Amino acid sequence: MRLRSALLFSLLVTLPLGAQKPAFTVGWSVYVGWNPYYYMAKSGIMKKWADKYGITIKVQRFDYAPSLEAFVAKNIEACAMTNMEALDMPAAAGIDTTAIIVGDYSNGNDAVLTRNGVTFKNLPGKKLLLVEKTVSQYLFERGMAMNGMESQIKRVQLVNTSDSDIAAAFIADTSHEAVVTWKPLVSQILKTPGVTNIFNSSQIPGEILDLTVVRTDVLNRPDGSGQKFAKALAGAWYETMQLMSAKGSGTDKVLAAIAEGSQDSLQSYKEQLSTTHMLFTPQAALQLVTSPEMKQKMTLVKTFCFNHGLLGEGTKSMDEVAIRYPDGAVEGKPDRIRLRFEKAYMQAAGEGKL
Amino acid sequence: MSVLSISVRPSRITGWVLSWFLFAAGISLYFYTAQRRHKENPDDRVVPTLAQLGAGIYQAAMNPDADEEPAADAASQSALDRFRNGMLWKDTVASARRFIYGLALLFPAVLLGLHMGLFPYFGTFFLRFILFFDKIIALSVLPILFIAFGIDELSKVMLIVIGVTPTIILDTFNLTRSVPPEQIVKGFTLGARDFDVAYRVVLKQIWPRVLNSIRLNLKPLMLFLFAGEMIASTDGLAYRIALLRRHMGMNIIIPYVLWVALLLFLVDLTMRLLNKRLHPWFREA
Repeated sequence: MRLRSALLFSLLVTLPLGAQKPAFTVGWSVYVGWNPYYYMAKSGIMKKWADKYGITIKVQRFDYAPSLEAFVAKNIEACAMTNMEALDMPAAAGIDTTAIIVGDYSNGNDAVLTRNGVTFKNLPGKKLLLVEKTVSQYLFERGMAMNGMESQIKRVQLVNTSDSDIAAAFIADTSHEAVVTWKPLVSQILKTPGVTNIFNSSQIPGEILDLTVVRTDVLNRPDGSGQKFAKALAGAWYETMQLMSAKGSGTDKVLAAIAEGSQDSLQSYKEQLSTTHMLFTPQAALQLVTSPEMKQKMTLVKTFCFNHGLLGEGTKSMDEVAIRYPDGAVEGKPDRIRLRFEKAYMQAAGEGKL
Repeated sequence: MSVLSISVRPSRITGWVLSWFLFAAGISLYFYTAQRRHKENPDDRVVPTLAQLGAGIYQAAMNPDADEEPAADAASQSALDRFRNGMLWKDTVASARRFIYGLALLFPAVLLGLHMGLFPYFGTFFLRFILFFDKIIALSVLPILFIAFGIDELSKVMLIVIGVTPTIILDTFNLTRSVPPEQIVKGFTLGARDFDVAYRVVLKQIWPRVLNSIRLNLKPLMLFLFAGEMIASTDGLAYRIALLRRHMGMNIIIPYVLWVALLLFLVDLTMRLLNKRLHPWFREA
C-alpha cells in the first residue's frame, strides 16, 4: 500500500517535469528604453517568439537594484541594465555576462540640475544629491572633468539619496542646490522655478548604454536552449522596435501601451523618448557596437568603476576585468573576460534570419 | 514524552545544546551554501566565505571610506588610530548620535503621556489628536517631512520622533490610567499637591514599566533610523549598507548587520540591568 502511494506520488511529480519546456526569465525595470519589455509581454509578442523556439519566457518587472541582485544571484537569466552595471555588478560577483542587445543610449535622460545659478565652478564645498556609485555619479564626474574641475571632484559632498525620494527631497528642501538624476524625475524637477539643467548625457553621447544582457553560461548551455532564448529575445525586441518607430497612426497606440508600463502618459513617454537615442534597427545598434569609439567609451566607464572600487575588492588592476568586443578584441586579461558584446543576435535580426 | 511536558525541565547540558542548536544550524547552513557557491564560481560575492568575511571586517574596521581623501600619515598610524579613522567606527558614531537624539526625545513624550493621563484638560486637548497621529505611517509622508525639516540631520531625528513617540505617549497614558484612583485620593488626603501626586505617586511607580516600553520600542526606533539613513545621507551604518548593496558587498554588509545586532543587544541589556538596579521591586522586566 505504502509502496503504491509512493509510486503514484513520484509519478505525479515527474510527469509535469518531463513535459516542461525550458523556461527563462528576463528582468526589467522602469526606464524609457526598457518599458518595451512590458509591451512585449502584454501584447503576446514575447510569447509568439518563445513559442517559435519551443521555450517559455517570463517577463518580470523589478526595481532596478533588485533586478541586478536577482541577475547576479542567478535567479533570472537575462536582465535589462546599463553598460556600467553590466560591467561592475556581474564583474564584481565573477559572473561572465554577454550583452546581446544594445537598445539605446541616454541622450539627455540623465542630467545635473542646479538652482540659484550654481555651476560646476562653484559646486566644490556644496552638497550634491544623487544615487552614489551609479551612472549619476559617472555623469557628474564627467561633467566636472569636461569643465576643467577634475581635481575638485572630492570636494563636492555627495549625499546618497534613494531614487524613490530624490525628486521630492530636492524640490522640498531648497537649501540643497544641486542634484543628479534621470528622467522622468528630471522633467519633474525642472518644473520647479529657478532650476536649470547644467549638464546632461547628450554631452557624452554613447557613454551610457542600455543593454539586455544574458549570463554567458546560459548562452552556452549544451542543449542549445540558451541560444534559442537569446534569439527569441532579439526577435521580440526588434519586432517591437519596428512597431515603435513605424510611421503611421498605429504607432501612438503602441507607444501609449508601452508608457502604461510605467504608469506614464503618452505625452510624457514621448518627451522621454526625445532625449533617448533609440537604436530602433539592428543595423544602428551594430554600427554603434562595432565602432572604434565604443572601446574608448567603455574604457572611460571601466576607469570610473575601477576608481570607485566597483569592480570588486581585490581587483588590483583594470586588466583583471576584461571586456570582449564584437571584433574579438579583448581589453584586459583574456582569461578574465567578464563582459562580452555579442553581435550575432543583432546581426541575425538585421538579416531577417531569426 | 518529556518534550511535551510543562513540568519537565531539560538538564543543564541539554539546555545548553538546545539553546545553541539553531545558531549552529544557521551557521553550518550558511557555510555549506558559501562553499557550494564558491565551487561553482570562485568569485561569488553573494554568500562570502569566512576568508572573504574576515577581509571585509578588516577593511571596514581599519580602512577609511575609499572615496575619502586618505590621511597623509596613514601608514604611520597606530592600530587604534586607524580603527578610529576607519569607516565602521565613523559610521557607528554617526548613527549612534542620531539614535541618542531620538532616544532622548522620547522622555518628553513620557511626561506628556503622564500629564494626559492625570490632568483632564491635557487629556482632552491631546488624546484624540495623538490617537489619530499614531496611525499615520511616517514613511508615507516623507515629502512633507522634507519640506518641514529639510533632508539633513533634523529630518532623520524627526522621522524617529514621529514614528515612535505616539506609541510611547499612549503607552504612558494607559499606564498612568491603570494606577488605582484610591492611591491618588490617598495622596491628596495626606496633603500632596497636584504635582506631588503626578511625579511622586504615579510617575514613580509606572517608571519601570515605561522604561520597559521604551526598551521594547528600540527596534522600531532603529528601523526608522535606518529608513532615514537609506533615504538620504552622507554617513551612518545604514548609509553604508545601502551603498554596498549596489555592488554586492555582502562581505561587509553581513558583518555590519551583525554589528548592529550586537549594539542593539547591548543597549537592550544595559537598559534591562539599569531597570533592575533602579527598581529592585519590579519583577516584570
